[in-house]
Amino acid sequence: MTETVFVGMSGGVDSSVSALLLKNQGYKVKGVYMKNWSRNLPGMKCPWAEDLADAKRVAVKLGIDFEVWDFEKEYHDKVVKYMLDEFKKGNTPNPDIMCNQEIKFKLFYETAMEKGADFIATGHYARVKDGKLLRPVDEKKDQTYFLYRISEEALSHTIFPVGEMLKNDVKKLAEKNGLHNAYKKESMGVCFVGEVGMKDFLKEYIETEPGEIREIETEKVVGHHDGAVFYTIGQRHGLYISGNAGEVNSGLPYYVVKKDLANNIVYVSRNLNDTNIWAGEIRLKDIFIRNTVPKNIQVRLRHLNELIPAELDGDTVKFAQKVKRPASGQSIVFYDGEICLGGGIIV
Amino acid sequence: MIYLDHAAATPVSKKVFEAMEPYFSHEFFNPSAAYLPAKKVSAEYEAAKGVIAHAIGAKSHDLVITAGATEANNLAFSFLNKEPVFSSSGLEKSEMSYAGQPAEPSPSETNLSVSSGIYIPDFSNHFIIQKIQVLYLSTEHDSVRKVAEKYGGAAIDVDRNGRILLDDLKAKITDDTRLISVALVNNELGTIQPLSEIAAIIRKVRLDRLSRGVKTPLYLHSDASQAMNLLNVNVARLGVDLLTLNAAKIYGPKGVGALYVSHEVKLKPLNYGGGQEMGLRSGTENVPGVMGFAKAVEEVTKHLNGNRKKYALWRKILLDELQGYELVNKKHTLDNFVVLCYNGIDAERLIFLLEDRGVYLSTGAACAASKGVKSHVLKAIGLSDSEIAGSLRITLGETNTEEQIHEAAKLINEAVKIERRRR
Repeated sequence: MTETVFVGMSGGVDSSVSALLLKNQGYKVKGVYMKNWSRNLPGMKCPWAEDLADAKRVAVKLGIDFEVWDFEKEYHDKVVKYMLDEFKKGNTPNPDIMCNQEIKFKLFYETAMEKGADFIATGHYARVKDGKLLRPVDEKKDQTYFLYRISEEALSHTIFPVGEMLKNDVKKLAEKNGLHNAYKKESMGVCFVGEVGMKDFLKEYIETEPGEIREIETEKVVGHHDGAVFYTIGQRHGLYISGNAGEVNSGLPYYVVKKDLANNIVYVSRNLNDTNIWAGEIRLKDIFIRNTVPKNIQVRLRHLNELIPAELDGDTVKFAQKVKRPASGQSIVFYDGEICLGGGIIV
Repeated sequence: MIYLDHAAATPVSKKVFEAMEPYFSHEFFNPSAAYLPAKKVSAEYEAAKGVIAHAIGAKSHDLVITAGATEANNLAFSFLNKEPVFSSSGLEKSEMSYAGQPAEPSPSETNLSVSSGIYIPDFSNHFIIQKIQVLYLSTEHDSVRKVAEKYGGAAIDVDRNGRILLDDLKAKITDDTRLISVALVNNELGTIQPLSEIAAIIRKVRLDRLSRGVKTPLYLHSDASQAMNLLNVNVARLGVDLLTLNAAKIYGPKGVGALYVSHEVKLKPLNYGGGQEMGLRSGTENVPGVMGFAKAVEEVTKHLNGNRKKYALWRKILLDELQGYELVNKKHTLDNFVVLCYNGIDAERLIFLLEDRGVYLSTGAACAASKGVKSHVLKAIGLSDSEIAGSLRITLGETNTEEQIHEAAKLINEAVKIERRRR
């Protein structure tokens, strides 16, 4: 009997080619556009209607069924709210990871299964083998960092058709098959806000007050900020700080090292040895592990960063050499070679 | 390419383009400037306005040139009271349940429309009534609907063909009604409305108000954007006080429209500045745009009779050669509009299939299709959700040939077959 696959189609080239590949492999394919967000933001027109039309156009071309599933409420409750709450706590959350955990590989997965799917598929660059999440063939496109929290159950019913391919070949295949979105610009950063747009996005939802920027060592006020939530620990850019007379431009930049949200103060430092910037060990919470974890693992501190050897000791990741610490709320993801084991959220 | 979406946009014809060209380059002067070359441009601009006005039986100074029909429609409403007019009501919230609404309306239901006004809960335990100043046809374009709702409006119902129900209009007119807005031709169906009959009703209401000493004026506005291709539009014969025109639908440039204003109506400007267009539409005149508009009007009126015959024939060819459809706009329609319903099929899929084969057309209004919002027009004429989803709009125009019409019918039939087979 032909097996049924529900493909999450975003209108982009990767999910379009995924649908194409599955159809050619003989599956009964249904395309689904997940409508998670449709609001325009200042300076950013939400492209959902165009994306939806692009996805549907491909589905029609392939002659497959196509549906729109409206997840806006759930996306707001599970992803947007989580994100805002974390920012309000002073953390820098990663909404993509939450979106995969709660929406794409939970709600979408469960709904598809209820509607008779044998598998779900997405256009992510990753592979699944024997219930394990593996890094994709195209290392430059590796998206396992964002997928580390998806459940074993969902994973065992997931196909990542482009995981075995190089992005370039995906594009070529799209072109060869007349899929117009071969040339579409890739969406960047957070699912619905560009990286640049995060501050504008937060401004829409979180009320902020201007406050002081202080040097952590001296408590001296060195500048002012327009809202502490907008600052990320470890951040160097975007600080409105001018060197004081007498020490005009010591040449050293300031880094955000601490945020006191109760008093609306952002602390900065020029000391790169501050443990909030460089750390030998990092404590995690909400650790999620799919497989058994060996003593010596490799970790990724950010999406597409190099894999660094480390040791997982309880809830703490220990490094042989100090690493530049990501902001709290971000994830550290564990690997054993090509296997993505899981990960945790930085405290 | 076979373009079947002329109600969405028309190409600027060669003659129109040539008429505009000099005013982009060597005749670029600001009509308000003092020197002779500018005065010449000013005179030519007024003459062009005169051509447009003449075509609808009006004078140049009766027209306000705008940046398109949406702006003209907005301007037409500007004489109304900007702040919603309220009359307070002694009704307790709990008494509201007679209208079948919960005593505590949810935010989306705050505007609770009843025949005499719109009930809005105020800060105390009472409701206030927003007076209904405007009556508009339920099938109006958003550039009328959305504005009417802002000023306090109620919709007039239509029949299965999209024609106004005159009895419903009569029943909804109260002493608060100041404006009735009914498009001469509907943009999704091509339905032609009996404006002179509406005008007759309005005349009676005016006389009645006069006899009772009620001073509230009552005017008739019509958006005639889609009409001029096939209809003789004359303000006196239609009995309108305000009429919207649109260059972009008659092979003129986009972003140019006009509002005819009878001397009775005292409009207020939407924007302020140099006082152009009798102070009603400040901003340097769009000289090339108006030159193109005038040429487009001239051309379209010249070919009216020939076009009517041509489109009637093409419509017949389509209806004969297409298969397995239900015709939506059966009566009282412009012949260049053919609205088809393929029940059980997702018409948007047909559009993508046809796009691949070089045929361009739309479902309902173009803007509705792209946002996943169901057409309020098709809903208003009583189509079910699945009938709405299966509806295609073909609008014929000057880019077409008879050969194309046959070809289009063949390609649409094929696309429908592909979709039916897939089911």
